[in-house]
Amino acid sequence: MNEPVVVARALSRHFGSFVAVRDVSLEVMRGEIFGVLGPNGAGKSTTIRMLCGILDPTSGEGRVVGFDIRRDAERVKERIGYMTQRFSLYEDLTVEENLKFYAGIYGVPFGRRAKRVRDVLERTGLSGRRGQLAGTLSGGWKQRVALASATIHEPPLLFLDEPTAGVDPVSRREFWEQIHRLAHEGTTVLLTTHYMDEAERCHRLAFIFRGTVLDVGTPEEIVARRKLRGAELESDRAQEAADRLRADAAVDEVAHYGNVLRLVTRDDTDPNVVIERVLTGELRPKSVRPARVGVEDAFVSMVRSDADDSAAKAAS
Amino acid sequence: MSLRPFVVAWKELLQLRRDRMTLAMMVALPLLQLLLFGYAINNDVRHMPTLVYDQDRSAASRDFAASMAATGFYDIRGHVGGYAEIERALRRGEARVALVVPPHYGEKLAAGKPAKLQLILDGSDPQTVASATNTATAMGLARSSELMLQKLSVSGSGLTTAPIELEPATWYNPEVRTAVYVVPGLIGVILTMTMVMLTAMAVARERERGTLEQLIVSPVKPVELVIGKIAPYVIIGYVQMTIILLAGRLIFRVPFLGSLPLLYALAFVFIAANLAVGLFFSTIARTQQQAMQMSFFFLLPNILLSGFMFPFEGIPKPAQIPALALPLTHFMRIVRSIALKGGGFEDVYGELVWLTAILGVLILVSSLRFRKKLL
Repeated sequence: MNEPVVVARALSRHFGSFVAVRDVSLEVMRGEIFGVLGPNGAGKSTTIRMLCGILDPTSGEGRVVGFDIRRDAERVKERIGYMTQRFSLYEDLTVEENLKFYAGIYGVPFGRRAKRVRDVLERTGLSGRRGQLAGTLSGGWKQRVALASATIHEPPLLFLDEPTAGVDPVSRREFWEQIHRLAHEGTTVLLTTHYMDEAERCHRLAFIFRGTVLDVGTPEEIVARRKLRGAELESDRAQEAADRLRADAAVDEVAHYGNVLRLVTRDDTDPNVVIERVLTGELRPKSVRPARVGVEDAFVSMVRSDADDSAAKAAS
Repeated sequence: MSLRPFVVAWKELLQLRRDRMTLAMMVALPLLQLLLFGYAINNDVRHMPTLVYDQDRSAASRDFAASMAATGFYDIRGHVGGYAEIERALRRGEARVALVVPPHYGEKLAAGKPAKLQLILDGSDPQTVASATNTATAMGLARSSELMLQKLSVSGSGLTTAPIELEPATWYNPEVRTAVYVVPGLIGVILTMTMVMLTAMAVARERERGTLEQLIVSPVKPVELVIGKIAPYVIIGYVQMTIILLAGRLIFRVPFLGSLPLLYALAFVFIAANLAVGLFFSTIARTQQQAMQMSFFFLLPNILLSGFMFPFEGIPKPAQIPALALPLTHFMRIVRSIALKGGGFEDVYGELVWLTAILGVLILVSSLRFRKKLL
């Protein structure tokens, strides 16, 4: 039985005349870490809310953990864990009281509750802080408690809505290790993020922009499909060099990193060819080395070309 | 039956336990209000500062002034020599009442002719006017019939007592003490205030802090959530009610004639109605502050229209219609009937029907609004 844990078919959601999500189709398999990537206001949270059964789609359908999100919303809710954007704990309750509360709400049988809470505390390294008020925890610890709360009933599917917003880099790393361990144990994880480094840690990604899915695939597939190549060049006259490069049709993006310019070319064009063609004479760079093209480059390129397309459409 | 309401209620109690401020307020508030209303609201106007402008200076005029002072309603603050002085004293608030005795008052009385006395009142305080007029008029009448009887007995008609004597008997609060009237009603006012505000804020707080969304995505049903959130506050409501009843008895000697269990049973419907109002507010309010403002806004008509401060019959007819929709109006009658008149179930049955109907409408409206789906 390898039925996908999450299936969305042409999900749309309108708020009045505003279309927040348009025809989103997705499939997420068991044990997968699936990232929904997109800028703020792209429709990520709306999509997740529909899949959780708390927001009815205007059209389209979805099945989550085998249940229809419209008809069996309550069944869906029992079988998923959900961590909201601002992971909200009861700040005036202790870590342990928070966990016990959610264990009760999610119907963990009373006899097993204490053991389950203990297990989760141990697994998340929270045992030493069980008696601390949640409000006095730092961001990283709060996030751990939130994740512990969301998984207290051992859900087969976990929704995380921008789980690492406002969390320090060290805690973020630890968080991701946890997520991978959960996935390894068979939990499916669907998360939204706008951190590109996090996107690369997902098994598969969906790019959402203005309510539509632009691309779905593994990070490598998505990057490869954009046919981008990268180079880093050192130049004394970085600003002028950047302006020249940007004017070239083969250039997708030029970005400053200190004294280094990062150049991304489209259509598999060799960056060296572009540099030789554009940066002549005094603008010739001191050095050029190849650079890895990542999800962020693919994302920026996709959003730009989409914006160009709509601009062209609007102009014609 | 799911255990979730208990889980929610337990969480609510844990939070309450840590919220010392709210807890203290819930005990202190009824006591403070009790003392304020019990001592400060005083409808019986006694010891009104009174001036005497005696133009007669006879034994009869001095006699009348002395018997006025003897009633306890008038404190004779001094004698004046003209209307200008009376006016100044009234304007400055040094006196509220002035007795003017015209010249030849004593002579006229002795001659058996009708004599006039004038009472000047500060009408800016209607309460004083009513009180002072009533007492003085009664005194005047009593004096007249006394004199008349004297005359009649002298002339030998055989009549020694007044032909008609009206003897007022005040039942249920024979001393006509305001505290007796105010304290039972205060139970209703305090419950309205705290119940509405606490529920409205408890839900608004979860919305404000984002925990409501976490609950909405959980399998907890709205009705389970509502019952769990409200139950602890019902207990608090009963605690407050007990505090007021006890303190009212100990401090103000307010009697309790009826059945305590009956009052506690009927109070449940009233508390539930207020919680439903609070819940309704919480569905509108986005923040705790808004919830608090709405609760205060709701409190004012309750105090003014329910019959707590002013007799319901005195409220203008158009205002009586919204007043009847307030749960407090009906609870006010229930609690006064049971506590002060020893009323039984059959005496307050009609009010219970009203309360239940209001509760039904409120529950319907709030649960329609308290939908679980976001947006």
